[in-house]
Amino acid sequence: MPFPNVRLSNRPLHFIYLCDCSGSMAAQGKMQALNQAIRQSLPGMAEVAGNNPEARVLVRAVRFADRAEWHLQEPTPVQQLQWRDLEAGGITAMGEALELLAGVLQSPPMEERALPPVLVLISDGQPTDDFEAGLATLMRQPWAQKAVRLAIALGHDADLEVLQQFIGPEPPGGGRSPRRPLQASNATSLAQYIQWASTAVVGAASMPASQVQGAAAGNIPLPDLPPTVLDPTDDVGPLVW
Amino acid sequence: MTRLLPEGASLRFEGLEQPLQILRALGGGTQGEVYAVRCGAEELALKWYLPACLERDPQLPRRLRQSIALGAPSEAFLWPLALLEPTAESRPLIRHPKAGFGYLMALRPAGFVGAHRHAGGDLEISLQNVLRAGFHLADGFHQLHLKGLCYKDISLGNLFLEPGSGRVLICDNDNVDIDGQGGGSVLGTPGFMAPEVLLGKAKPCASSDQFSLAVLLFRLLTRHDPFRGQRELAIRCLDEPARRRLYGEEALFIFDPGDPGNRPDPEEHAAALVTWPIYPRALQELFEQCFGPGLRQPERRPLTGQWTQQLSRCLDRRQHCPHCSQETFPDPPRPARCWQCGSPLPPPLQLQLNQGRVSATAGNTLHRHHGDPLAPIRLDQPLARFVHHPEDPRLLGLHNLSGEPWPGQLTNGQSFTLAPGKTCNLAALQQLHSSAGPITVLRP
Ligand SMILES: Nc1ncnc2c1ncn2[C@@H]1O[C@H](COP(=O)(O)OP(=O)(O)OP(=O)(O)O)[C@@H](O)[C@H]1O
Ligand SMILES: [Zn+2]
Repeated sequence: MPFPNVRLSNRPLHFIYLCDCSGSMAAQGKMQALNQAIRQSLPGMAEVAGNNPEARVLVRAVRFADRAEWHLQEPTPVQQLQWRDLEAGGITAMGEALELLAGVLQSPPMEERALPPVLVLISDGQPTDDFEAGLATLMRQPWAQKAVRLAIALGHDADLEVLQQFIGPEPPGGGRSPRRPLQASNATSLAQYIQWASTAVVGAASMPASQVQGAAAGNIPLPDLPPTVLDPTDDVGPLVW
Repeated sequence: MTRLLPEGASLRFEGLEQPLQILRALGGGTQGEVYAVRCGAEELALKWYLPACLERDPQLPRRLRQSIALGAPSEAFLWPLALLEPTAESRPLIRHPKAGFGYLMALRPAGFVGAHRHAGGDLEISLQNVLRAGFHLADGFHQLHLKGLCYKDISLGNLFLEPGSGRVLICDNDNVDIDGQGGGSVLGTPGFMAPEVLLGKAKPCASSDQFSLAVLLFRLLTRHDPFRGQRELAIRCLDEPARRRLYGEEALFIFDPGDPGNRPDPEEHAAALVTWPIYPRALQELFEQCFGPGLRQPERRPLTGQWTQQLSRCLDRRQHCPHCSQETFPDPPRPARCWQCGSPLPPPLQLQLNQGRVSATAGNTLHRHHGDPLAPIRLDQPLARFVHHPEDPRLLGLHNLSGEPWPGQLTNGQSFTLAPGKTCNLAALQQLHSSAGPITVLRP
């Protein structure tokens, strides 16, 4: 006889992309690179979700250009997700995107009990609207405070200060850290960071991983960033944009 | 995924005569990547560490060398076989400025699946095989602790099961160290860590392993978590600080006999309420002991040998419900009812040996430890197994799996011999003289 058909109840883990779709993203294939990176990351993300009985991973996406709007509005189980391409054109309504996000992080519609949400902001430029007001609205939501907030800077024109404000206080010391904007200078490193956020970070937020001594404390201990694999095109500055 | 080693290439390593051919990547974790490799005619698994691991955990190569020298405690471990450092000519093929290092281990055979699949309710497995898996897990840690070692990071993620047999494989053996040796940076996995380790008051050791083992056994046996009851419902965002309270500062076992303050919620925690009553009191008491007094007093935690003893006894009592045919494990003195449908369970026919009794149910097995007081408790070398007659499933027999003939008597007084590989009908059997002592039929 099979083991009774019961299981540990799980909690939703909301994973939300905030994607800059301003006109500059059309240049040098950045928009296509982002679409590819997200699409390629989905099988790995689905696998991590499948390995974590405690989590129900649900994905959404906001696009922002002249306006901010839902690109993927329905919280979608990652196993069922089909990524529809984003298109570039317009200015950078990042503040409005944060307002839109704030709206879904209040309860309801947020569930009463959940895992910490993971919010990933990806941008190649400066906000053209009232970013501060948008951020303030967002950070009034308890779920936004509890969320793992990550930011990916595309190319050299991204506003690192604004992205750091979204993440929170900058960690002491220098160097790469998940609590600083992740600087993607080419399509490979963009894909690596997206992959890392959608697998390692989702894993850490949904089911605790083994912990080592002296791991950075915090709401959710963040996993190490992906190593910079030797690649002849590494560290020679931007190649594509 | 980032690939540190070039797939398809052959790499040479210090001290290894043959080159290793990197066949394919099997996966990557936070510490490194695992590859299937060919070494001569053999396929093995190679774990390659990210160089950052060594910086964070400088003792890692020492521990691996020590484990390799000591050898695997049992077959349940995917134990390190050799430490690998690339030769000078292989270093440039590794796609990282600091080439790093790794170790070889056996490749996990197909058919073993991650224990999280079971915990997630996504696996067909019998209760008998779940109990066997629990036994093999506890026995693995028993053998490891007997060697003076501790594991430090027991969790669902490090355990694989074979659903058709209940065999287990324990991987990620790279934190194993001599018990009490200070080095090593791993603390464990929240949800499995002993409270004193979670709260930073102690380092992982054999007694914290005993706690983590009990959590993992509970999760296998119940598909639930020992501390997720009413108190979990009060937690909105289940993050690290919340886990510290739930599993550390305010930990309370959901079935604590003295304090009902954290009982499972009938809706949210239904799994616990369905599965806990399946198990005999003696097994439940070990959990109550470990998650009650053992929560704050490590010396009061059940030892690995107590788990193997109670899990094997539970398996000995396995009996099918005549009404719904579910597997049950009745407690002998109590009036037995099926945990699933509530029907009364008839007292079973049993076989009495010097050291224990086994219920006559197809699939149950007799072992040397049932007769021989000096034999260790093992499940992997059965002496005999209860089987149905191949044509007439109403007939139940005892199949002699030992290499020796067993003389015996039938109920009519007649003598006979049960040859190796043969099965005798229990309906006519009175007694057998096995290599593990006398076997007497006890009719209800
Ligand atoms: N001996 C093995 N045979 C087959 N697959 C293996 C073996 N060891 C590990 N793997 C697989 O390789 C992948 C990575 O394993 P590893 O244990 O390094 O990572 P992990 O457990 O995800 O990470 P962490 O080190 O963070 O615990 C996993 O999918 C694991 O199942
Ligand atoms: Zn029944």
